[in-house]
Order: sequence, then C-alpha cells, then structure tokens
Amino acid sequence: MNRVVQTTAEDYRIAWLTALAITIHILESALPSPLPGFKPGLANVIVIVVLVSYGWRAAAWVSLLRVLVGSLLAGTFLSPTFLLSLSGALASVLILALASALSRWLPRWGAGPLGYSVLAAMAHMAGQFAVAYAVFIPHAALLNLLPILMCAALIFGMLSGMIAAAMISRITTRS
Amino acid sequence: MLKWLSGVFIALLLNGCAKEPLYQEQLFTFGTLVNISIWGEDEAVARHAVDELAHDFDVMHRDWHAWHPGPLVSLNEQLLARQEAVVPPELLPLMQQSLALYQASGGLFDPAIGRLLQLWGFEADVPPAGPPPADAAVQALLARRPTLGDVELHDNVVRSSNPNIWLDFGAVAKGYGVDKAVDRLRALGIRNAIVVAGGDLKVVGARGDRPWRIGVRHPRGSDILASLNASSGECILTSGDYERYYEFEGQRYHHVLDPRSGYPARGAVSATVIHNSAATADAAATALLVAGPQQWYATARAMGIKYVMLVDQAGTVHMNPAMARRIHFEVDPLPRIELSDEL
Amino acid sequence: MNYKRGDILVMIMALSLVAALFATLWGDSRRGEEVRILAGDKQLALVSLSGHREIRVDGPLGTSTLEIDNGRIRFADSPCANKVCVHDGWASRGGEVVACLPNRVSVAILGGEYRFDAINF
Repeated sequence: MNRVVQTTAEDYRIAWLTALAITIHILESALPSPLPGFKPGLANVIVIVVLVSYGWRAAAWVSLLRVLVGSLLAGTFLSPTFLLSLSGALASVLILALASALSRWLPRWGAGPLGYSVLAAMAHMAGQFAVAYAVFIPHAALLNLLPILMCAALIFGMLSGMIAAAMISRITTRS
Repeated sequence: MLKWLSGVFIALLLNGCAKEPLYQEQLFTFGTLVNISIWGEDEAVARHAVDELAHDFDVMHRDWHAWHPGPLVSLNEQLLARQEAVVPPELLPLMQQSLALYQASGGLFDPAIGRLLQLWGFEADVPPAGPPPADAAVQALLARRPTLGDVELHDNVVRSSNPNIWLDFGAVAKGYGVDKAVDRLRALGIRNAIVVAGGDLKVVGARGDRPWRIGVRHPRGSDILASLNASSGECILTSGDYERYYEFEGQRYHHVLDPRSGYPARGAVSATVIHNSAATADAAATALLVAGPQQWYATARAMGIKYVMLVDQAGTVHMNPAMARRIHFEVDPLPRIELSDEL
Repeated sequence: MNYKRGDILVMIMALSLVAALFATLWGDSRRGEEVRILAGDKQLALVSLSGHREIRVDGPLGTSTLEIDNGRIRFADSPCANKVCVHDGWASRGGEVVACLPNRVSVAILGGEYRFDAINF
C-alpha cells in the first residue's frame, strides 16, 4: 500500500512555526520555576499566530506537538512535568476551539489575538493547576497559590497576545 | 520567594488530608513534658488511654525517683547503711535491665553515679545556675569511683561494696517508662500512636496509610536537624547536652556525666539511636554521648545498636551507613558527615 | 494595533476572575495557625498566631511571658533558672513545642502544615 503524502507551502509554514514553538518551549524549560511545569508560556504566541492564520485544527496540532516533542527533547516525556504541560495544552486547545467557534458564529463579538491569547494562557494554567491539585498534591493550601498563578497567566497571556498580534500583522503585510 | 514557594510545594507533598482522626495530648509528668498522639481511634477511647498513661507515668515517676522519698530512695539508704537490701518488685526489672546495659556499655552508662550527679546539682528537678563543684570534690568521689560493677544482684537481694554508690536510673528510666507506656497502649487496643517523653520517642503502627514521620531537633537552636520515618515498635531516642544544663562563665555544664572523669561528657553534643527497646536506646544514647566521636562505634557494636547519629562539638554528624540511608537532613547547608563502617 | 470587541470582553472576564480568586482564596493563606498554651496539665488557651502581642501565663515559679509575632511564638521571659525556653527562640512550624519545664508552661503549634508527626528533642 503506497500513499503519497502531499505537502503544501502551508504545511511547511506550520512545520516551521511548530519548530519555533518547540524551541521557545525548550528555552522556557531552562528557566527556574516555583512549581514544576509552570512557565510563562511564551510558546503560546506561535499557537495564537497559527490559530488566527490557519485555523483551530492547525493550532491544536502545533500546541500538542510542541508539548510532545518538547518533552521528548527535554527528557521529561511521561514525567509529572509532561503531564502538567499536556493538561495545560489540552485545556487551552479546548477553550480556543470554543472561542473560535463563537467568533465565527457571532463575528461582531469575535476575539482577536489578544483575547485568544489571554483565554489560552488562563485555560493552560487552570488545566495544569487542576491536574496538579487532583493528581499530585490534593491539599487545600495549594489553592492559596491559585490567585497568583492565574494573575501571572493573565499578564503573560496579554504579553504573548500583543507579540502574536504584531507577528500576524507582519506576516499579513508580507504575503 | 522561589525558595519559599518550593518549600510550600514540598510541605504540601508531605502532607495528607487536613481532617484526620488524630488525638493529641500533652502532660507535664515523669519530670518532663510527655506528648501522646493517637491516630484512628474514637476520641473517647483515646482520651481514656491518655488518662491511664498519665496515671502510669505518675506512679513510675514516684517509684523510680532517686531523690524524692520513695522505694528507690529507701533502697539507696539501706545500701548505704548495711550494704545490702531487698529490691522491691517495682524496681527489680529496671535494676536487672540496668545491670545488663551497664555491662554492655563497658561502664559508660552507669546508674551508680548518683552522688556525682548530686555534686553537680543535676539531681534537682530544676538544674542550678552554677557554679560547678570544686575539682577536689569531684576527685574525692572518684578516688573510690562508684560503678554499678560494685553492685551484686542475687535474685532480689542487692549488695554494694562501695559507700559512694547512689543509684539513679535517670538515664534509663525515661526509656523504660516509654516502653511500658507503649505496652499499655497496645494492651488497651490502640493500634497507632506515638509517645514522646522529651528525647525519648516510641511509635506504634502508622498514621493511616503512611508511616509516622519524626523530626529530630537540632542540638543547637529549635530547628529540625533531620527527619525519618519510624516503623511500628521503633524507638527514636536522642540524648543531648541541651536537655539539662547550665552555663557558668561562658562554659556549658550538662547533665550527662562521664563516669570516668566525673565531668560532663565532652566531644559529642547529641546522640540519636533507633532501637526497638526504648530502655536500651536510652542507656545507649547516654553511653554514646559519653563515648564521643572517637569511641561511639565500638560502644554501639557492644550494645547491639544498629542505627546511630552522633553530632560532635564542631557540628559534624557521625553516622553508620544504615542510619544515613534513613535520615533526611532538614538543614541547609548540609552539615559535614562522617560515615563509619556498617554496624 | 486594532483590538476587537471580543478582546475587551475576554479581558473584562479574565480580570474579574482573577479578582474573584484573590477575594475568595488569598485571604486563607494566613489563617489556620494556632497555638495551644498549657499551664500545668490544663489547656489554658488556644490562640491565633497572627498579629503581634504578649501573653502572660502564671506557673508555680511566677509569670512566663510569651510573645506572638506574625505566625511565630517564643518565650520572651520566664522565671526559671537557666532560661532554656527563652534560648530555644522562635517556633513557627505546626507540631513544634517549646516548654518551660520548671514553670510548667508549654506552647504547641497546631494546624498549619504538620511536617512531622512528632519531634524528638
């Protein structure tokens, strides 16, 4: 059984963007973190760019591939760090699906890169936190950290949203 | 901030649920502060058990006290007057166990040095503020050095050939009392508990689905030096120069006297032992503190102790490898550690 | 840069969520640390470790003074001869015990995070 896999220019571009997301992901894992697996999430920028330029399906691929490949490269595959990253990525992909569907349904109320990015960052943090709380440390005192973590997610979400918006405007002016 | 958050994370990892069937009580008895924790029993059952223990401890304190009027004081007085006495039944097991431990320790644990303790002022419930006794007075007592070796026990009759002998079981009685308290808890049907009398600690069972976790105090300051998990029936016992002491002109004088020199033991500041018998652990910790960093290994071997951690004057921690495998240090930076051969 | 209406909506929702989280969860972090004070065998008081204050406890030798300071407690003074309790300094961890044996006063920290079930001292 032979199948010819057709690659398009778009595939290449998504592959490049995925590689970039993985690079950012790896660079971020080198940063110290108060809780294992909790990162600023700047790789989010790429996911948002892909979402706005190529749609949700492509963004989901980039997001999940980044977690998988990133953990393989960092040697954390199937470790707690990986599970936290994966749950965060799944949560953000799900909320992005919802938000982009809503944007299509109600275009007047649709969100741009900033809105998507904030949603994704906060969902990512909430997803990680839920798994950390449920699986690793089921203790009420961990909840004390939640406001700080969500506040950090909001700030980094805004930041990467602005970077994503700037990138998108460059890409669209070039092409 | 980062360090604090990591600390919170680790603390959380080590902890289970907030609501646990844990009953805790503190008692001033037995000349010390006794902490009792009982896990997994009805509060009424636990409260009853603690009441029983409080009574037991009061009785033991009275029976075994070397200086308050009671059976041991009258035994000592008889020995002094006639060099012979009948040991009352409440003292006989303690006496027999002490003789065996004295021999095993090579005389470093010696309950016959009551006169020396009195000379230093450590027989009192509240240690004095100094000054230490004159050297001539110490030497005078050592001239006829009192040792438990001068005491012979046949059945229940004890003979002494040395007029300087005064029996004070302080270095073993707390451990022996903790053994008896734990036996009593078991007899009362308690399956999970910790009894702590100062540096003497013994556990039964576990705390739910995890073992009891014990912190060992740093000999200097109130921090925790190290922690370890205790299995059922184990006793973790520390003897240190910080338990009863006074400072006089910048010098610390503590209650663990070296029977050979008549002076407080030098070299080590604390000795921690794990053993199944608290009485043995108590005598061993005292003997190891006296033995110090040079001789502890031989003493531990002779007494059949399998886990030892000794902290010396410089803060170096001496351990046997089996102890090192169980200890988690809680201080940063780590102290200097010297491992011995296997015990 | 152009922002859409949805972006503003998301920002408003996100900010209110964070504010709500701070309001409901943040205050708790300082609560739940208490200290049990014992005089003789009787529990004298169960007091919070927050704020700053002094507590005087009478024992057979006289009055021991305890000092509470934002989550920690110590014997500031005690009428005993050798002041071991005062030298012990501050205690703040759940399960920690500081005692003045001669004056029969002790404090035991409850709640918070019990890192140890018992302390061998």
